[in-house]
Amino acid sequence: MPVLKIYFSRFERLTGLSKDKILDRLPYLGLDIEGTDKESVRIEYNPNRPDYSTDYGIARAIKGLVGKELGVKKYRAAAGKAQVFADKSLAKVRPFIACAVARNLKLDEETIRQLISMQEDLHNGIGRKRRKVAIGLHDLLPITFPVYYSAKDARFAFTPLGSDEQMTIEEILQRTETGQAYGHILSDTEAYPMLYDSKDVVLSFPPIINGLKTKVETSTRDLFVDITSTDARLGDEALAIVCSALADSGGALETVTVSYGKKKVVTPQLAPSRMKFDGELAQAVTGLSLTKKEMRDSLRRSRLDLDPKGFAVIPSYRVDILHQVDLAEEVVIGYGLDKMTPSYPPSSDAGQFDPKAAFLERMCLTMAEAGFDETMSFDLVDGPSLYGNFGRSPDSKLEVDNPRTAEHSLLRDSLLPSLMSVLGRNTKNEYPQRVFEAGKVFARGESGVTEGVSIAALSAHSSSSFTEAKMYLEALVKKHFGEAADTRPGSHWAFAEGRCAEALIRGTLLGYLGEVKPSTLAAFGLDVPVCGFELDLSKINNPRT
Amino acid sequence: MEKTPLHPIERKVLASLADGPRVFEALVSSSGLLPDQVRRSISWLSSKAMVTTSEVTSVELKLIAQPPELVFLESLREGGGEASVARLRNALGEDRGFSAAMGRAVSARWVEVKEGMMGQIVLLKDKEAGRELEGLVALLKKGASEASVPEAQRGTLADLVKRGLVERKENKTVSITITADGVEALKSAEDQGFEKLTPEILSSIRATGLDVKLRPIDVSASAPAFHPGRRHPVKELIAEVREVYLSMGFSEITGEAVQAAFWNFDALFTPQDHPARDLQDTFYVKGMKDQKISRSGVVANVAAAHEAGWQTGSKGWRYKWDVEEARRLVLRTHNTAVTIQATRDSGGAETRVFSVARVYRNESLDYKHLAELHQMEGIVIGEGLNLRHLMGVLTKFYGKLGMSGVKLWPSYFPYTEPSMQVMVYYDKVGKWLEMGGSGVFRPEVTWPLGVRKPVIAWGCGLERLLMLRLGMEDIRELYNNDLGWLRERKEIAGTQDIL
Repeated sequence: MPVLKIYFSRFERLTGLSKDKILDRLPYLGLDIEGTDKESVRIEYNPNRPDYSTDYGIARAIKGLVGKELGVKKYRAAAGKAQVFADKSLAKVRPFIACAVARNLKLDEETIRQLISMQEDLHNGIGRKRRKVAIGLHDLLPITFPVYYSAKDARFAFTPLGSDEQMTIEEILQRTETGQAYGHILSDTEAYPMLYDSKDVVLSFPPIINGLKTKVETSTRDLFVDITSTDARLGDEALAIVCSALADSGGALETVTVSYGKKKVVTPQLAPSRMKFDGELAQAVTGLSLTKKEMRDSLRRSRLDLDPKGFAVIPSYRVDILHQVDLAEEVVIGYGLDKMTPSYPPSSDAGQFDPKAAFLERMCLTMAEAGFDETMSFDLVDGPSLYGNFGRSPDSKLEVDNPRTAEHSLLRDSLLPSLMSVLGRNTKNEYPQRVFEAGKVFARGESGVTEGVSIAALSAHSSSSFTEAKMYLEALVKKHFGEAADTRPGSHWAFAEGRCAEALIRGTLLGYLGEVKPSTLAAFGLDVPVCGFELDLSKINNPRT
Repeated sequence: MEKTPLHPIERKVLASLADGPRVFEALVSSSGLLPDQVRRSISWLSSKAMVTTSEVTSVELKLIAQPPELVFLESLREGGGEASVARLRNALGEDRGFSAAMGRAVSARWVEVKEGMMGQIVLLKDKEAGRELEGLVALLKKGASEASVPEAQRGTLADLVKRGLVERKENKTVSITITADGVEALKSAEDQGFEKLTPEILSSIRATGLDVKLRPIDVSASAPAFHPGRRHPVKELIAEVREVYLSMGFSEITGEAVQAAFWNFDALFTPQDHPARDLQDTFYVKGMKDQKISRSGVVANVAAAHEAGWQTGSKGWRYKWDVEEARRLVLRTHNTAVTIQATRDSGGAETRVFSVARVYRNESLDYKHLAELHQMEGIVIGEGLNLRHLMGVLTKFYGKLGMSGVKLWPSYFPYTEPSMQVMVYYDKVGKWLEMGGSGVFRPEVTWPLGVRKPVIAWGCGLERLLMLRLGMEDIRELYNNDLGWLRERKEIAGTQDIL
């Protein structure tokens, strides 16, 4: 989840609230306090609320919650003269662009840091790592309108931000950090999006990098904002969030006209939207009995409103309201979760355990009673412990895509490798070592992955033997199946030839027991013989309860 | 040097020798043991230098017949001190004894002979007549050795031998003498008792009725370590959580770890380009898909809900839903993938179910992150359920797990609205801690599955709670399976609070 740092001194100025009050109320906006120091607090916010990506957005919300400012905050952009021409050459790549101008800003370093942090969060969230939305902030001064948004080829060159010389698009994609990180978004095209002005000054090569000439500094007074996207709605939403923050920081907003051939679109679009409010549903979902006025007050504390016709008024930067239940939650937040009282719904029925889970649990208890320590290993294991150390082929392996570490890359089909790994890591501990584990095992089935449940045990000490394995297995089977297991000579990749048997019950093969192969003992670094068994319990249909 | 403890038979033999040396036969009779037992114990004791043995010759005396003078005196005493000669002759028999007995009695002045009406009468003059001889004969009857006959009676004995009334038989035997070590051992056995009980000792106790003492030991000395077989702490907490759910009327459900992305994400209204679905965060099974997922029935409803809200009145996510993305096989990232299928299966009937099971995240392992961990999810489906009921369930559930306070903050999940983050107060650390998520399933989630009743849902990680119980800092330790730790770790139930 995205994290934002805000400074108390600045935030107290924005809200008029004390540090203590701020820290007390932040969680009731759904914001997690990650950590605090004397000057600042680090806040984690949920990705459904990109308007929380600056301290301006959070200030707006907290003032509503404490009752300092209620209802929808109005944002207006005056009619501006700036024009952008978008052409069809990008229709299949990144067709949409939305823009705005903000004048008379006082950009101190902290404000610039907030804006850049917002830009990054919007890129990652709404923008899905710039794939859907990319944002450019520019100094307005060097720009000569109209501005053009159109495709260039890979040889097109300009001076990107962070460089002091011209680079071709090809070079930018190969050599710059952002080119390497986001170039894949343009990998299917040779039409590279470019935003440049009437004097061929490049503003931006979206979604990769801005041009150097429009770089924003603390001396910048007026800003030009461009947002390119693959989805016009998402671009408009992102722009509304950016513009709200810029307006809160003192900027005077102006519109920009974007022309797609004959079609003209004026951005930003900051008018609130409306959704019919269902008070009964809000009551039913929340369990609160509120009058219409109380509902409205609660919505206003959430910086929404209820108009006389019964419509909820939703500001343009609130992109998370999809359904009535979202409004119900706004009622709850405005009302205050801390004021609500719990009500336990009594149960008329007793619960019951899953019979198979209960059966497995009883078998585990028996193993512990027999003196075995229960271990728990991961379902995802590494190749050597699952295949190599047993000298078996990995042909039917089940692999996960792109694991962070090779140690967790294969789904195990047996618990024995895990138990052997446990013994291999415990050679410094006291012997005898008797361990068992119960858990899922995975196999490649005809139409996907089949999952089984297995219980396995190993005994490691200087005189462990097949007979010992058989003794424990027979005791376990006899207790839980009510009859003795049959054993007959068998063969298994974990056990030595001639020291391995199949265990059957009522003619069904339950599993194998034996003495672990000497080469496998050596591969796991063990100096003592190991014997044991593994039973596949997925064949048990109706365990006795 | 540690001395082997005395066997009870050895003790008995030594005790019989405490007064002085004895020959074997005497030892047998004074110890009350069987000759074999005595023989064996003498051999053990000799080897331990607790007794010495020496060969001696003993003379066994055997009484062949009662001396006639005693029969004579007896008959007299029966007659009140007088008897006729005829009667005495009759009692002793003429052929052997009467004349000799009569002669001895007269010469020893025991009797006097008088003439009576019917012939001669013998009168007893000395009331103590023959007592000394009687004593000797009594001794001989018991089987005495020559050595045991008092010096004063040796003359009488020699006379009886000469008369053929006593037979002398010379025997070689052994005399046993206790040594200083034996005395010491006897003393310490009597003081200290036995080191340990053996089947032999116990059977001799049964046979002899003798009790034995056990040597006192240093009861504060350390005992060797013992490890009972133990459950894994994660499994112990799972068992506790299952009991808590059961006590609240919840039934257990289980499900597959490998799920179609459809159930892990799409059915939970998680848009297909949501960051949680990235390879960076989620494990997908390589090269496999669930081809059974196709855009019809429930799947079609879900797809329509994503795209434009379906019948729910929602705007939806407003993008083009792709069935291929829903077919990918994912290692479930939460058990809501299982509870959501129970929601579908409920057909809208009142339901309370839970699942405590493993979930998977593509994480690098560090002190607070694992790639596999456990979550305990529950749902309730029922008419009229609302957020306050959810608060009630959460308060009760976490209360039963030992949390004295529950505080709820707004939160966000794609599939619940309203959503709440659960904060719990944990007394031991005196802090509010983030414990899990909760919420009311969105209509975009439940309606496409055919459920229009409210569904309240929650879930939280298990390891976090376990670490608090065990006072651990590094989550990886739970799955290191270090046997030293597994054997020595404290109980999860906080038994330290009992005393």
